[in-house]
Amino acid sequence: MSYSKENVESIVNNGISRRSFLKGLAASGVLSSFPGGILQANEDLNTKIPYLGEKSYQTFRNACPRNCYDTCSIKTYVKDGVMQFIEGAQESTYTRGGCCVKGNSYVKRVYSARRLKYPMMQVGGKGSGNWKRISWDNAIDIIAKKLLEMKKEDGTLLGAALTKYSGNFGITHYGIEGMFNSIGYTTRLAGTPCWPAGIDAQNLDMGDMWCNDPEEMKDSKFIILWGVNPAANSIHSMKYIYEAKKKGAKVVVIDPVFTEAASKASQYIQIKAGTDGLLALGMAKIIIEAGLHDQKWLDANSKGYKEYKAYLDKEIKLENVSKITGIPLAMIKELALSFAKAKPATIWMGYGMQRHTNGGSMIRAIDAFVAVSGNIGKYAGGARYGHLSTWGFNYAALSMPKPEGSVGYTGPEGAKGDVAQGKDAKSNYTDRFLNINKTARELLNAKEPKVRLLWVACKNVFAQDFDRNQLIRAFQQLDLVVVADQFFNETAKWADIVLPVATQFEEYDVNVSYWHYWLTLNEQAIKPLFEVKSDLEIAAMLSKRMNQLQSGSCTFPQSVDTKAMMAKEFNPGIYEQFGIKSWEELKNGPVKAKAVIPYADGKFKTPSGKFEFYSDKALELFGSALPAYLEVRKPYDKFRMTSPHSRWSLHSQFQNLEWMEDVHPEPYVYINPDDAEAKMVKEGDTVAVFNKQGLLRLKAKLTDNVQAGTLLMYEQWYNNNIYNVNELVDDTSSDMGAFKTGAPGVALHDTFVNFRKL
Amino acid sequence: MQTTSRLNDVKHLRDIFNAQNSKALKVAFDALNSSIEISEEDLEVQFNRYFVGPMEPVADPFASVYLDNPDVVMSQSTLQVRELYETMGFTYPLKNVIPEDHLGVELDAYYQLLYLEEAKEITYLSELRHYFLHEHIHLWVPRFIEKALRESEHDSKAITFILLQLKSLLIRETTTQGVTA
Repeated sequence: MSYSKENVESIVNNGISRRSFLKGLAASGVLSSFPGGILQANEDLNTKIPYLGEKSYQTFRNACPRNCYDTCSIKTYVKDGVMQFIEGAQESTYTRGGCCVKGNSYVKRVYSARRLKYPMMQVGGKGSGNWKRISWDNAIDIIAKKLLEMKKEDGTLLGAALTKYSGNFGITHYGIEGMFNSIGYTTRLAGTPCWPAGIDAQNLDMGDMWCNDPEEMKDSKFIILWGVNPAANSIHSMKYIYEAKKKGAKVVVIDPVFTEAASKASQYIQIKAGTDGLLALGMAKIIIEAGLHDQKWLDANSKGYKEYKAYLDKEIKLENVSKITGIPLAMIKELALSFAKAKPATIWMGYGMQRHTNGGSMIRAIDAFVAVSGNIGKYAGGARYGHLSTWGFNYAALSMPKPEGSVGYTGPEGAKGDVAQGKDAKSNYTDRFLNINKTARELLNAKEPKVRLLWVACKNVFAQDFDRNQLIRAFQQLDLVVVADQFFNETAKWADIVLPVATQFEEYDVNVSYWHYWLTLNEQAIKPLFEVKSDLEIAAMLSKRMNQLQSGSCTFPQSVDTKAMMAKEFNPGIYEQFGIKSWEELKNGPVKAKAVIPYADGKFKTPSGKFEFYSDKALELFGSALPAYLEVRKPYDKFRMTSPHSRWSLHSQFQNLEWMEDVHPEPYVYINPDDAEAKMVKEGDTVAVFNKQGLLRLKAKLTDNVQAGTLLMYEQWYNNNIYNVNELVDDTSSDMGAFKTGAPGVALHDTFVNFRKL
Repeated sequence: MQTTSRLNDVKHLRDIFNAQNSKALKVAFDALNSSIEISEEDLEVQFNRYFVGPMEPVADPFASVYLDNPDVVMSQSTLQVRELYETMGFTYPLKNVIPEDHLGVELDAYYQLLYLEEAKEITYLSELRHYFLHEHIHLWVPRFIEKALRESEHDSKAITFILLQLKSLLIRETTTQGVTA
């Protein structure tokens, strides 16, 4: 018997033909004769209604949960259970119908052939590459038994450590910390590698980290983008900046690197890295001397202005400011005076600037300059860094009680991370906090009990943390490493068990931004692929098994519906702030918080209730009450290395996808042509970049976008490539971070290297 | 060719590609009568490295990877196979969970279609089976086999054996069963 291609395709694709074929099929006895397998005979074969051709789309609300300013509101189009494409939600004036290239690649991310599909166990030892499939029940059983065994042997669960960061900022994803809360007192890799020094700085100055709505920038008369590159990393903010510029505002970019944003600005000022604070102090001195400071605002709203002014008078010499920052004095004066004359004027400070040994002091100095100019508490003004003012959820998934009788750490209590953490006021015990920015060393050194189990979630440790060699040692000494992720990365390579995790399209959640003021529902749009599960379901399975083995050993709900958990995160405060009565209204689209101008009422959450130029807390914690000039780390090698975010990735995410690989297939080191010439390096040459920490081999690109004396490499994870720029970074701390986030940040941009042609 | 052997070969290969653990994999492998001695665990470790993961496998067992785009599953080819299964009278409990064009699922469909003809003498779906074989399976499975064989030939006897069994099955099905369209 043969076949006719035309005939078969007509049966499959033509409604009338298919109907009559199916009628014949029903009559043929086929359905009762199939032996059955994965595919089953369709007993409900519908032969009455002809095949209708093109199936219709269903739409769902989603959010991009990545660690990004823009936290896009997304509309997802699904046909017959398969995601077809996404678009930015039109309802959000911020997302305004468009996503970035990374967001637009979500369909390819969800359906990437490279996704982790099944729970698997590495049977030949960590790093062996010998993997077996295990069932979820089996995986969870191994983990549950290990936890209970440790608790029995150690008397506590402090031997179990969690490292989780920003892979998914959805509110229910704090359920991962909730899972660890629910088993007892444990060890946490605490702090944040991202923005801690700046958080402390803003809290010291203003008692909070709180920024004006970015959409107001359209009405700003002067905008300084200071060490921030929204043209690459917050593209939705650019429309407001363009609009302001179109209306006559001046847009100045101050950055050591000539960035994409710099290319769009009215003026670009190239500053020497780590001297930004001094520039701000000099600018403040200039406007005060010119009488352009806002004395009335300062009198009513600030503390310590007198001491601050005295410091400027005595210690800040403008010639030195010019010399040290590398900016001509006339340019500094022009910048300071024109900023002070324009009202409202605003400064947006990026997170890179505070990744120096003097990073917190630099943010404080810029806050002070904005305050002196009278732009704090003003519409379209402000010293912008970020905010968490829309994050007042219940944290129901996070807030799990400890099991009865849990024993924990009795050392000094630390603060715990950047966004939200559980509290247990009644107990004398706490979790044990290790510094996330010194993960390798802290895991190796933790004693009594030593860390034996590590759970990694929402984080690619080997692509983001420091000191790879020590990390490998640290992972190898652990009894059990569990990595919950979506892709097989360098961290999964060193795991004992990998657990495949759902994308945001396969679960419910709710999302807000640390920059804009929109609230977005994230609906489950498709079934979870293969055997992937949401982090919450994994926690529930663990709880069920632990309670079977030892009743009362885990307080996490034993079955979880992500939709119900998402609904539990809402409260009257959120409803009031966003002007909705129920989360269900978010099915119609994202909503924006009611407008509030930060500090417009003159109320600051500092001890004095005022903007504090002089902070007793800062004196106590960091040795300087004023935002005084603090010299940046001294070079320990020939070239400064800077490692900013790339526009093709978000930390370790997205770069592994086809579209990104097409345009940006491999890591490069960007070198100033003068430096390259001195080392006889040409475009495309392979070079070794090295220092006391390590060595990377990669291709050179020559560009005067970077200053002579500085090398630039993006921080990214490339699939099938062990490149991690942080291998060259030691874990030297930035000055601040310990006040509000539990641990200081890392002075990433105070890394020094040398290079040679290979 | 023996009907039982023909049917069983498809069935065992189907069971290999659908195995969810070492034991099921070894049972299906042994049913192919190889003389290769290998432990359950070694067989699974090798099989996963070639076809499952978690690392990028040597050859992904999905038609879409060969026919549409090397990086994605659940694309156009998958949905064409979905339509074909529906027309054949199948329902798929794992719809939108495991793509319909996974090799194990396709071998399952092929096995059941063949079973109708060989064991039940029902030919109603025979034309669709031929179409599925020549216009779909044959367009990608040989490429899948060659890709994996290039590596397995100097690396794994067990994987090479599985691939050669699959190759031989495909040759038998596509040649001895003839196509005259």
